[in-house]
Amino acid sequence: MASELTTESYISHHLTNLTCGKTSEGWTCDPYKVDQMGFWAFHVDSLFWSIGLGALFVFVFRKAISKNSDASVAPSGMQNFVEMSIEFVEDNVQSLFGSVKNTLIAPLALTVFVWILLMNLMDLVPVDFLPVLAGHVAYAIAGDAVEWIKGPESLYFKVVPTTDPNITLGMAFGIFILTIYYSITVKGLKAFVAELTLHPFGKYMIPINFVLEMVNFIAKPISLGLRLFGNLYAGEMIFILIALMLFFSSIPIGVLGFGLHLVWALFHILIVALQAFIFMALTIAYLAMAHETEEH
Amino acid sequence: MNINATLIAQAVVMIVFVAICWRYIYPPILSVMKEREKRISDGLEAAKKADDSLEEAKLAFDKELNQAKAEAAEILDKANARASQIVSDAASKAEAEAEKILTSASTTIENETNKAKEELRQQMSDIIIDTTQKILGDEISKEKHEEILKKAAEEL
Repeated sequence: MASELTTESYISHHLTNLTCGKTSEGWTCDPYKVDQMGFWAFHVDSLFWSIGLGALFVFVFRKAISKNSDASVAPSGMQNFVEMSIEFVEDNVQSLFGSVKNTLIAPLALTVFVWILLMNLMDLVPVDFLPVLAGHVAYAIAGDAVEWIKGPESLYFKVVPTTDPNITLGMAFGIFILTIYYSITVKGLKAFVAELTLHPFGKYMIPINFVLEMVNFIAKPISLGLRLFGNLYAGEMIFILIALMLFFSSIPIGVLGFGLHLVWALFHILIVALQAFIFMALTIAYLAMAHETEEH
Repeated sequence: MNINATLIAQAVVMIVFVAICWRYIYPPILSVMKEREKRISDGLEAAKKADDSLEEAKLAFDKELNQAKAEAAEILDKANARASQIVSDAASKAEAEAEKILTSASTTIENETNKAKEELRQQMSDIIIDTTQKILGDEISKEKHEEILKKAAEEL
């Protein structure tokens, strides 16, 4: 157990997920057995916040509906926010999707936008609050029963789900599946396959065309997921480094750290909203491409 | 940065949330928003209509008011004319009455004067006859000199 708090252990503690998976001895969340878990392991912390924030989104918007049901009453409070976000999404879908009628796109874009925004916003919670709290809670509740929880610090807990590539790529993967589904249903399988094989060199170079188009096709979801992950991971990293200034340096540098934290947090608000918007806009754009029947 | 089953779990979770939003959240809110939008535009239109009709009513009101004013002025003019007519009538009537009274009064005065004169004459002639009788005795009688007395009285 890493009892000594070093710069290295502090950073790695913040960058490691709480991972649960199946080992030869059964299900466990022991961080020292992650290597034995293989692919079938779950980042419980990322999924917890992801599901929790998604549920918060559903709850808030659902609650707005019950107030919303009467069109003759002027909207108030949270309802205004809800309607504003829906209007924002509607505008974006309208501008990118134009005339195509698809009732799934706007709800999908709304979910993706609000959900990612909420997940990104977790980045603004000071880096140590929730992990330390979770560690103490886990130690107090399960410290005796679970053998691998030896102290509050033995529980890894990453708060921002979008700094976990599994989360961002998972969402991009879901959108990728939808893209394929709509490509096939709207254009037809033949046109879809033709699109992947007959460009850019014509029908005599099908293998090369396929490789080139496939790279293009696969790159979309991967870049979509990694863009969000990279931005948020970097932001989180800088928050951790600024927090390090407070813990491991002299007082003047610590004071400077406070200032830097404020500046970076203010700047990060921009990134948080921007990345959520970019993800939403690209989601709409990729799905719009899947609906385009015109050959280019 | 290790990829594991979290990716699949997250994809499933996303599909669930998107389905919830698609099925239960987005359509009701959007329909209410559309309905409200329609209500607002209807309301604005109704307000515009009401504005127009108000303008119309104002014009009609102004018209009526002007007409009423003109009528009132006409009535007032008529009344004034009639009043002055009455006054002038009354004045001329009064004048005539006064004239009449004056005339009758002067007639009466004249009559009285004549009467008095007559009486005076009578008395005078009586006195003269009386006196003459006394002087002349019974030489002269009233009856005998009736003619002369009358002439004298007339000359007086």
